[in-house]
Amino acid sequence: MISISSTRVPLIPPEDIPLEDKKENEFGQLTSEEYLYQSKSRDGKALQDPILDAPAYHVSLITYLNYLILIILGHIHDFLGLTFQKEKHKDIMEQDGLAPWFSTFESFYVRRLKQRIDDCFSRPTTGVPGRFIRCLDRVSHNLNDYFTYPGTTSMCLNLSSYNYLGFAQSEGQCTTAALEATDKYGVYSGGPRTRIGTTDLHVMTEKYVAQFVGKEDAILFSMGYGTNANFFNSFLDSKCLVISDSLNHTSIRTGVRLSGAAVKTFKHNDMRALEKLIREQIVQGQSKTHRPWKKIIICVEGLYSMEGTMANLPKLVELKKKYKCYLFVDEAHSIGAMGPSGRGVCDFFGIPCSDIDIMMGTLTKSFGAAGGYIAADKWIIDRFRLDLTTPHYGEPTPAPVLAQIASSLKTITGDINPGEGQERLQRIAFNARYLRLALQRLGFIVYGIADSPVIPMLLYAPSKMPAFSRMMLQRKIAVVVVAYPATPLIESRVRFCVSAALTKEDIDYLLQHINEVGDKLFLKVSSGKAGGSLDGKPPRWNIDEVIKRTPTDCKDDSFFRI
Amino acid sequence: MIDSVNVPEVLPSSIPVPSAVISSASYLWFYFITFFKLIPGAHYVIDYVEKSHQDDPYRTFVEVLLILYSIVYFLSKPKKKGAVDQPKLSEKEIDNLIEEWEPEPIVVPDERNEWRLAKIPVIEGSGADNVINITRDNGKEAYASAFNLCSFNFLQLSKHPRVVEIAKEIIKNYGVGSCGPAGFYGNEDVHYNLEYDLASFFGTENSVLYGQDFCVSSSVIPAFTKRGDVIVADDKISVSSQNALQLSRSTVYYYKHNDMASLENLLHELDEAEKKEKLPAIPRKFIVTEGIFHRTGEIAPLPELVQLKRKYKYRLFIDETFSIGVLGATGRGLTEYYNINRATSIDITVGSLATAIGSSGGFVLGDNVMVRHQRIGSNAYCFSASLPPYAVRTASTVLQMMDEDNSSVTKLRYLSNKLHEWFQTDTELLRYIEVTSHRDSSVLHFQLTDAQRQQKFGSSIESVFQESQYQQQHCISDHFVESWEKEEIFLQAIVDTVLIDGNILISRDTIVLKQETLPVTPNISICCNSSMEESQLLDAYNVIRIAIIKHCSEA
Repeated sequence: MISISSTRVPLIPPEDIPLEDKKENEFGQLTSEEYLYQSKSRDGKALQDPILDAPAYHVSLITYLNYLILIILGHIHDFLGLTFQKEKHKDIMEQDGLAPWFSTFESFYVRRLKQRIDDCFSRPTTGVPGRFIRCLDRVSHNLNDYFTYPGTTSMCLNLSSYNYLGFAQSEGQCTTAALEATDKYGVYSGGPRTRIGTTDLHVMTEKYVAQFVGKEDAILFSMGYGTNANFFNSFLDSKCLVISDSLNHTSIRTGVRLSGAAVKTFKHNDMRALEKLIREQIVQGQSKTHRPWKKIIICVEGLYSMEGTMANLPKLVELKKKYKCYLFVDEAHSIGAMGPSGRGVCDFFGIPCSDIDIMMGTLTKSFGAAGGYIAADKWIIDRFRLDLTTPHYGEPTPAPVLAQIASSLKTITGDINPGEGQERLQRIAFNARYLRLALQRLGFIVYGIADSPVIPMLLYAPSKMPAFSRMMLQRKIAVVVVAYPATPLIESRVRFCVSAALTKEDIDYLLQHINEVGDKLFLKVSSGKAGGSLDGKPPRWNIDEVIKRTPTDCKDDSFFRI
Repeated sequence: MIDSVNVPEVLPSSIPVPSAVISSASYLWFYFITFFKLIPGAHYVIDYVEKSHQDDPYRTFVEVLLILYSIVYFLSKPKKKGAVDQPKLSEKEIDNLIEEWEPEPIVVPDERNEWRLAKIPVIEGSGADNVINITRDNGKEAYASAFNLCSFNFLQLSKHPRVVEIAKEIIKNYGVGSCGPAGFYGNEDVHYNLEYDLASFFGTENSVLYGQDFCVSSSVIPAFTKRGDVIVADDKISVSSQNALQLSRSTVYYYKHNDMASLENLLHELDEAEKKEKLPAIPRKFIVTEGIFHRTGEIAPLPELVQLKRKYKYRLFIDETFSIGVLGATGRGLTEYYNINRATSIDITVGSLATAIGSSGGFVLGDNVMVRHQRIGSNAYCFSASLPPYAVRTASTVLQMMDEDNSSVTKLRYLSNKLHEWFQTDTELLRYIEVTSHRDSSVLHFQLTDAQRQQKFGSSIESVFQESQYQQQHCISDHFVESWEKEEIFLQAIVDTVLIDGNILISRDTIVLKQETLPVTPNISICCNSSMEESQLLDAYNVIRIAIIKHCSEA
């Protein structure tokens, strides 16, 4: 079987272009002061219940039919393959007394459905994932079994990277800091944190992070997923209860499972269900013995990366205080990207940070670095430093990454290049609101709240995913399409991650193409009840009208339902 | 038409039926039949019902009942199996219960083991250097130019100017972060290249990169195992593998550490049991062990393991975090050490880029099918951002340097052997300590002898394990084993003496007892690397020796 290893992806040399062009490709200059938006704190006001738009029934029906056809074809394929082409299906059959690596049934979805559209995933890139991303062209063979690379690249508009504040750059103060750190500290720290891996740079960066998120102390990890996955076992056991939002990230679920704590989930963002569950659990206690729980932790995410929705923090804090639970908020996507000064959910809602017991976040996204952090009061963090596994057995965050974190944080707070951080925050707020409202006006169904830089646009039928992704790639736009199991079965979607590096003109370009592709693929199915409509009828605005009116309208909250 | 609607004759005239009921029912029936007939093919249904009613009127009755039952069943709420009705509580009682509930604090502070915080060295500069300036306890203690025997950067290749230059070049062209998970534009050309380089360097079909070494095992094993699968593991594996087994959902058995007879017995027993059970399909079976053991520095007997795995049809999983770059003539790890082909002997190799290779991240080596499944089934790969490009390119360059020139591996082996030789031939020292590591391991582990432990702390490995396990099982929040703590403090005193008297930094093996599910012993580890001189190591050995004897000979 041929696979990636037998066709080496070529190393692409950096483009030979003037420095100014390079900078512009990584971070577009602001074209007008009008394209800025200063987001406001909600001053403790809770979110309203979101209105979820749903398409006409025929769309769901077609989606199910679509899956049905794919599944029937897949089974025929499997039957014929396992009967006549045993050579090609060795991976799902027993071999010399060894069970296959995975069962036929479990891998069906991947082999027969996902593989058909594998060309939309794992596209290799090169260079900085900034305003533009350089994708390597590739040729698919044998139904995406393997790819070959002619060695050419396409510069695509980047709507895919988690580069919220545009810190993915190879020029500027952050890069300079990273380079200096490489010279001073090298690329490697020597071993686990508690052994030899703590440098003065770690101590300093932890201080900055704690200050930024508004907690007494913080601890850094070299991987975002690993932060959560090896966190909960340090302070939870089977006599503790975790109440978890149903859409929480896999890393939280893995971490909680490792801790052995009992888990109950509540429907995504449904605060009434949450309250009912907490009451019931305090009264009922542990599942078999009915002894009271030792402690109850509510785990939520600040901004949900597949939905664009936010945790309803004011309500959560109220519940947590009322019922003496603890609150854990994963700010993987919201830190840096949300709130008037970029400090995440607390900033956005105008709630004191002390109301959240443990704040976790990643540094991969808004800061263009890597890794994660956990922030809390000093006495809690001190305990974590002793009880967590990662600082004792895992690798520390390397120095260049720390320098990137520290310098990007200082840029946001205005300690370096005053004004730059504020501009980045205002640009992402504007871009997010502009793209969201424009999509709604064009007639697409989008999920999430107004200020979310993650904008999921619903495609429904699975066959429209590759169609959308490929058509956008032809138009030099890199997008991410996601489907089951990351989303509910029929809600396949495309996820736009807006960045401060994009200019308003980039978004106009994007809108024009989405509009065109949306018409061809019949994606304009919104009813207008979730926004975008001025007269209550399904919105189907003309693209020129949208581009003309939305930049001013998007600054007005009354056009959004939040 | 409507005129023909009459009171059906079947109703006895003695029961008065209001005519309104009869006429409305008749209208309903009439229109229902009329519209029903409009559906194409409806007359077949009507014919069928009429005919079957004529043949057997009871059948119609039974069928109507069945339809009614199915509607009732469909609408009724399912009751959970095994759910017991709870006593009904009034709102007030519930409020009182909620009022009464007093949770534990989120973490339980425990002064008894907080001394560890003050002992974490903070390095000014890189911890990978041989001579470092350190402070401890919030800057209260400071040591300048201490000799560093703690670093895992065994080969010191990532400090080479050529590597640093490349790392900087990549930062200048790629920035620092990759800003995305592997599946969504996060894997760049450099990532795919490192995967290719790793696979070709170690001679396997393919490889996968992970963001952090500690997460790899606990993501890879659960990606392949489910309930009913069998894992046979060495009973001295490290915490990362222990976590993996916990997450695997499989049935886990342990064999005695590095004891092949014990393993064979176990495999034989399991084989017999399986034959009796007659399962519909064979489960996936794994042997899990480590190349050089994290805790003890011993080396796994690969030839025997391979033989057993083939005989009993198991797959072999080896964590080579500490053996890659250390064992074998060119640093290709355990397989090269035993001169065995990796591709045909070890099914899953897990390695770290953050030990001998001196970059960041972890990786898995294996065949194409396994690797391909990981790219969709392994959580730490799918749901996490990929490594920073500069770290990836650094690792590629180090691999290339290892391929070009094995002198650093040779030098490392020489120093490791020397270091072990000094310790292992020192009869006075061996009265107090036991050196557990193999002479080829670049980390020397030593612990107190069982007799010393018994004499000084009145404990044994088993007693500590039992007490620790008891507390784990009973979910004691302030997990604390006194004799363990005393022994750790004792070892820390040796470390401190070495640092104060000789300006040499060694370290206890950092262990979180609370998280260990297997017996473990406090120990001190000494790391050597290829850029050290034999004389420096010998001096260090003498200082350490004196410190050990000083502390151990005290009553």
